[in-house]
Amino acid sequence: METTDLNLFVRTSEETILDWDRSKISDALVRETLIDSDTANEVSREVEKMIRKSGIKVVTAPLIRELVNAKLIEKGLESSRRMHTRLGMPIYDVDNLILHPNKENANVPHGPEATNLTLAERIKKEYALLSVFSQDVSDAHMNGDIHLHDLGFIDRPYCSGQSLEYIKKFGLNLPHSLSMANPAKHPEVLLAHLIKFSAALQSNFAGAIGWDAINIFFAPYLEGMSDDEVKQLAQMLIFEFSQQAVARGGQAIFSDINIYWEIPKHFVDTPAIGPGGKFTGKTYGEYEKEAQRFAWKLFEIYKEGDGSGRPFFFPKPIVHITEKFFHTPGHMDFLYHISDVASDKGNTYFVFDRGETAKISECCRLSFKLEESDLLDAKEPWRMRYCALQNVSLNLPRIAYLAHGDDAKLFNLISERFELAVKAHKEKRSFLEKLLSLGEDGPLSLLTMNRDGMPYLRFNLASHLIGMVGLNEMVQIHTGEELHDSRKALKFGLRIIAHMNLLTDKIKRKEGIKVVLEQTPAESTSYRFARLDLRYFSPASGSVVKGDIASGEVYYTNSTHLNVKNHINPIERVTNEGIFHPLIEAGSISHVWLGEAQPSKEAIADFVIKTFKHTTNDQIAFSPEFTTCNKCNRTSRGLSDTCTYCGSGDVDGITRITGYFTKVSSWNKGKLGELKDRYRNNEFFFEKQEKAVNE
Amino acid sequence: MLCKDYDFPIKGFIDTSFIDWKGQLSSVIFTGGCNFRCPYCHNSSIVLHPERIENVPFKHIAGHLRKYKHWVERVVITGGEPTLNKGLSSIAGQLKNEGIKIKLDTNGSSPSVVKGLVNDGLIDYIAMDMKGPIEQYKRWCGVGVDTKKIEESIQFILEGNVDYEFRMTVVPFLHREEDVYAVADYIRNAKKFFIQEFKPNNTLNPAFSHIKPFSPEKMQKIRQNASNQLNITSQDLQIKILACPEPVY
Repeated sequence: METTDLNLFVRTSEETILDWDRSKISDALVRETLIDSDTANEVSREVEKMIRKSGIKVVTAPLIRELVNAKLIEKGLESSRRMHTRLGMPIYDVDNLILHPNKENANVPHGPEATNLTLAERIKKEYALLSVFSQDVSDAHMNGDIHLHDLGFIDRPYCSGQSLEYIKKFGLNLPHSLSMANPAKHPEVLLAHLIKFSAALQSNFAGAIGWDAINIFFAPYLEGMSDDEVKQLAQMLIFEFSQQAVARGGQAIFSDINIYWEIPKHFVDTPAIGPGGKFTGKTYGEYEKEAQRFAWKLFEIYKEGDGSGRPFFFPKPIVHITEKFFHTPGHMDFLYHISDVASDKGNTYFVFDRGETAKISECCRLSFKLEESDLLDAKEPWRMRYCALQNVSLNLPRIAYLAHGDDAKLFNLISERFELAVKAHKEKRSFLEKLLSLGEDGPLSLLTMNRDGMPYLRFNLASHLIGMVGLNEMVQIHTGEELHDSRKALKFGLRIIAHMNLLTDKIKRKEGIKVVLEQTPAESTSYRFARLDLRYFSPASGSVVKGDIASGEVYYTNSTHLNVKNHINPIERVTNEGIFHPLIEAGSISHVWLGEAQPSKEAIADFVIKTFKHTTNDQIAFSPEFTTCNKCNRTSRGLSDTCTYCGSGDVDGITRITGYFTKVSSWNKGKLGELKDRYRNNEFFFEKQEKAVNE
Repeated sequence: MLCKDYDFPIKGFIDTSFIDWKGQLSSVIFTGGCNFRCPYCHNSSIVLHPERIENVPFKHIAGHLRKYKHWVERVVITGGEPTLNKGLSSIAGQLKNEGIKIKLDTNGSSPSVVKGLVNDGLIDYIAMDMKGPIEQYKRWCGVGVDTKKIEESIQFILEGNVDYEFRMTVVPFLHREEDVYAVADYIRNAKKFFIQEFKPNNTLNPAFSHIKPFSPEKMQKIRQNASNQLNITSQDLQIKILACPEPVY
């Protein structure tokens, strides 16, 4: 029978309706898979027969493809079937997606742009699992042994940190852009360049965009400006970043700005770049006063909050507390100033750079210790561009279920999973290498632009992150005690992280790539792991996962943190959590949940100084909670169901989810479970009477 | 010499507080028993039935203080009413020997005890509660009180031998706005006066737990007006009073 007799029209993916043509099937098979043309012909004939027999009226290209796939499986051609797979989503899911908000990442709003982002992410995620990673890596991700972060952004590196010097020196000259801008002559223009470049970078990285020493690099532009003008500039900077929810997928740019009170040693003698991209003839050491003025004004804006007094979600201000900080005039006033913001709005992140190490923070908690070669870069700071290619997290509780209390088995399994994570890194690395090799005509042209003798993305220096979720639960399953229960449990936890730290060294030597540990932010991973373990490791997992199983609001404790629910004195929390921090090179954080309480700035400052002096903790943040009213637009302290001002029930809760502030209504179930459990240190901050009665 | 627990029954202990001593980390010791019966008190069990609450051994507290020596160098003694307990000066002395600074919370009913502690150099800071205008003290604190003693305490504290603050909790229906201004006027030479919002939980008189606190705006207005009553010359102190939107005692 002739094919035309079928009298069938095929709705193709190119939005056309074509006559039936069997050869399209065999052509596709030959083009896309490794099978020979005879087999391809045979498959296409059989599929044609099937379609004819079925009496089907509307034939679409995806349907034909699925039928062909079924035939390939019938013939045992599984690897060809894989290559021939179609990626996409069921109509039901798309319907849901367009109508309902995404809860995987609270930084994604709900709207057509966001839906586009999610749809694209779904397909790229499937593509990554099928085509970028090998089967064992993909399977380990699917079943929750490990988690490959941001798979929907498979064709981009993970996160980046850079300095303003690059745009000060080279202007805004992006590949394929419609116009090119010379180096800024005015502070407002520099600010515009900063925001636009951040948005451009956001389209080329999956996660955070960090800016180093922002107040210092702005300083040469601020000379001669009045205090009010500097404040105006600070206000523009924060509003521009926090209102950029019009960029990629309607997401705000996940941005960090690093702030120093002093001029760090490595920048003191660095020649400063000023208006027009020209060297000013001075060094940054000479701009201390201007840099301090800008830092001060930035925090004045954070303190005021947005138009309705809410805290700004982005950019996150990261203040570096160093030895030199304490020897710089005015440091106590500044510390009170930023502690005031910490207590009132929660924005401030205190990063502790002890000893001689210099650090640049990059992502939620990701910071890089600057090494010898980097310090040379500090003389030409536009070269200081860092990135991490990918982040892979290990499901630690899972390993403990499998080890059945056997130490040797436990550590072996950790090593195995670790190697799997490294394999995933190597696979993503070679995929990105392929994309980057296409140069300025390739998809990552921005990252290959070459303005200073090397591409923007310094691939050879890139890091690869390995994170952990649920150390607390791992220790709980293995030893019967949680980390806070005893010294012994804590030490066992430390042994595990030390083992992982050792593995990173081994990999560095063996593979020649930089693998570092990081505390996974795990916004949705801790929920996903807990859910999967409830499915695969019941009943053992039932008593281990945190949260409320009945409502499905379950989670594992983040990274190496102590149980958030436990009544731990904040001193003990920062001390004991801080024990892990030196082993986690890419940065860590301890949260002090404030809830409703608002301690004085002096008490916060006192706590910060003592944390610097008496612990090895890398970073702390204080997290208050707010209720913002959608009716009267006012914001009050604490989470409540109604507005304390006008009594309206149309309110949103706001607090820190993992590394950033956001509205509680956008949280996933696991995080909601955690929020209910978070022990808010009220005993220490607030209701002393309660405690007295309970004693 | 170690103080006997029954001389100084400690009913509660917080090892690290951010708020009980403004501006510093501190530990907090709660003593049992009180001679006042303020209806809005939200510490009723410690006031009414201290014997039902187990004592915290002083040894336990001393252990904690040593453990966190680098962190916490201050202790707040609060109640109940600490000055009712015979062992107060002994406890204060022992803490002083450990190099610890002490803040005393008091209702001002025992001026002689306060004077004694101050003169012996055992106290570094006093926070005295003003319940309302002196003339109607019985109304505010639920029992008959020798107001001469309250006035004596106020006068002594105002002499400024040690650093101090006065504070007042404003309870709707119990207090009128004018009562706050009357108090402010009475202690107009004070260095610090904190006006606190009432929190309706676990009140001594259960009826008070249904009272809704004044709105933040109203509290701000009260603070503003009260600060006008005070003879504060320093700009700095003025700010201190205004910048305390949500006191957290």
